[in-house]
Amino acid sequence: MQRTGAVNAPESFARGGFRASAQREWRLLRQRRWDLAMVSWVPVLAVALIWWIFSAGLPNQLPIAVLDQDHSSLSRQLLRLLQATPGLRVLEHEVDPAQAAQSLRRGDVYAVLEIPRDFSQIIKRGEAAQVTLSHNAQFGTHSGLIQRDVRTAVATFSAGIEIAARNKRGVSVIAARVAIEPLRTSAITLFNAALNYEQFLAAALIPAVLHILAMTAGAWAVGRELRDGTVNQWLAPRAPLAQVLAALAGKLLLPVVSLSLSGALSLAWVTWGRGWQPTGSLAWVVLALFVFLALSAALGALAAALSRSLRVALSATGFITAPAFAFSGVGFPLSAMPVLARWWAHAMPYTHYIQVQIGQLQMGAPLRYSLATVVWLTLATAGVALACALRLQRIGHDPTAWGKR
Amino acid sequence: MGHQSQTLGQAWLATLRALSRDYGLLLILVAAPLVYAFFYPWPYSLETVRRVPVMVVDLDHSSLSRQITRWAGASPRLDLRGVSASEEQAQQALWRGDIEGYAILPPDLKRHVVRGTSAVIQVAGDGAYALLNKAVLYGFSEVVGAVSAGVEIKQLQAMGQSALQAGATRSPVNTQLVALFNPTEGYGSFVVPAVVLLIIQQTLLIGAAMFTGTLVELGQHRANMVNWAGRVLGLSTFGYLSGLFYFGWVFLIQDYPRAANLPGALVLLLLYVPAVCTLGALLGVWFGNRERAMQVLLFTSLPMAFLAGFSWPADALPWALQGFRWLLPSTAGIQASLRLNQMGAPLSDVSAQLACLAGLTVVAGAVLIAVARPKPTVNGRA
Repeated sequence: MQRTGAVNAPESFARGGFRASAQREWRLLRQRRWDLAMVSWVPVLAVALIWWIFSAGLPNQLPIAVLDQDHSSLSRQLLRLLQATPGLRVLEHEVDPAQAAQSLRRGDVYAVLEIPRDFSQIIKRGEAAQVTLSHNAQFGTHSGLIQRDVRTAVATFSAGIEIAARNKRGVSVIAARVAIEPLRTSAITLFNAALNYEQFLAAALIPAVLHILAMTAGAWAVGRELRDGTVNQWLAPRAPLAQVLAALAGKLLLPVVSLSLSGALSLAWVTWGRGWQPTGSLAWVVLALFVFLALSAALGALAAALSRSLRVALSATGFITAPAFAFSGVGFPLSAMPVLARWWAHAMPYTHYIQVQIGQLQMGAPLRYSLATVVWLTLATAGVALACALRLQRIGHDPTAWGKR
Repeated sequence: MGHQSQTLGQAWLATLRALSRDYGLLLILVAAPLVYAFFYPWPYSLETVRRVPVMVVDLDHSSLSRQITRWAGASPRLDLRGVSASEEQAQQALWRGDIEGYAILPPDLKRHVVRGTSAVIQVAGDGAYALLNKAVLYGFSEVVGAVSAGVEIKQLQAMGQSALQAGATRSPVNTQLVALFNPTEGYGSFVVPAVVLLIIQQTLLIGAAMFTGTLVELGQHRANMVNWAGRVLGLSTFGYLSGLFYFGWVFLIQDYPRAANLPGALVLLLLYVPAVCTLGALLGVWFGNRERAMQVLLFTSLPMAFLAGFSWPADALPWALQGFRWLLPSTAGIQASLRLNQMGAPLSDVSAQLACLAGLTVVAGAVLIAVARPKPTVNGRA
């Protein structure tokens, strides 16, 4: 059993109190390299990895196959348009149907565009021709991007033909260009103009990972005292509630500050560092992140105090924090979830925090729209910490609560 | 445990006995996969986004702008919450979360169209929420495209073309879309079949590391090759059961695309589970502590999911990560499972992934046997 020297350490510093508790935690962390790692360089590495995964911003060069059964100058013209699209990489263009199906199934390509045999004949007759895009919908992101790019390329091709046809009938090219689309939509996808995933996913996943690490740290800090039976070295016997509360705050201070720093630095990096000037206030987001991580750590501490078991507290941490992103509405909207799942989502702190962050960084919403959320997160943190302190007061000095594995 | 004379069968049975007596391990190896089978697909169970709340900002007040508004109200993708006379009002509704997007019909919209100059309708969606944004953009562009086509066909008919001819003239080439493997394009059907493999991996990885970490604490972890094989087999037994549960039952109950190549999927399980268990056992020996596995591994599921290449295209990963991701069994497991379970590929199409899993098992197993071999001396470092 890895009971480090801390257990036998002389009680050279007083128990209780905020300051004494923080000093004790600092001393313990310096002796335990794993515990220190999990609140120092591991979080930095984790958020750096998340950023690195999405650093390309937008996936380019997704492989597709073109099944050209027409072999005409028109079909080759469409092929060239597809090849010139940055989002696509045309891997094969002279394939037979069986080969194309195999490439799709093997995942070598994510879509096959079929140009029918009489493609150019139909167009020359002035009728409407059709190309068929079979896409692998099991890979939803890939197929969504490919559908968008292929449709755009085909629409450009189609417009070119229409303009040429009108031009032949004596309409000037400029007049034809206007006439083919009297009304157009232009997407001002607010606040994430290029649909940049580095901004959209990396910025949302960084706090999601820190959420897991913060609750883990809270569960670990308190749970380990119970497991090792060292609570009486941390808390004075029969300490008043205020003192227990202060000791709890002192214990969680270091992990929360350290994780918040990783979060603040990484959010500053994905915004300012990467040339993205968020319209809202980054300082407000960092404040909200600090409160959110404090709440996460307090929840971990509460789980440990309630279960009196480090292992169970960590299991609870996994259950609450690991699926938090899936329930948050970032990937799949809250409004499309079943009612009970939406309730669970609203009970999760991450769901609320991420709305503050998106409101500030991506939507440029004024602070007043997220003020209530931050106040509620703060109140929740105080409430959870109080519940944890009350429980610690009752079980902290009960030796039957110690040593559970 | 750990008697040198044990046969593989005895070591396997001894491991099963030890696992079934450890409440903490049962929670992770049995209860967690059961609970997550219902919990994780839950938010996605309705599969698609329907009727996203939107507004129309009408600055034109013409018959054409009213026509667009009416059509937006009838769109199956959009839920028109109101018509606003100013953009600020729509923007505030967006910040409050009452709507997810809006279209701005500019002043002089109709005059432009009648004069034969083209007009642009701006659609504002919220890029932070990709699915909602897509629904807003597609919804409005379908509505505007349909209205625009009507205007154009009328203009062409005025030039003397028949309705049919006009239709062909205005859109000479169209794209027909065919969704393969996930024909309803459901979100849960896209995400959950892949995440299932990650759930199997994380529960097994933590369970195996907790098991060997506990053995290290007790000073009982050192063992010969046969013993270690028995331990990995014992842990794998639980992995096989949860794998069968997911492949055979959860996919069916949730009605995900499935059973395209079930024998192939079983071969995948046969290789995937021991790869994860061997790595987990090795991690546990390194951690040397019962609870450390959870502390260290809980957060890893998020980055692992996005390295696996199902929701974020692997082609877009930096090249170093494109190599690194194959050290995680979940990468090969997810890629192979989607091909076998959902896409019906033959085994030969996933031979690279299967070889990767076998390779991981062999390498991790060799390291494990080397670092945790029986020590001849009594006072070995534990």
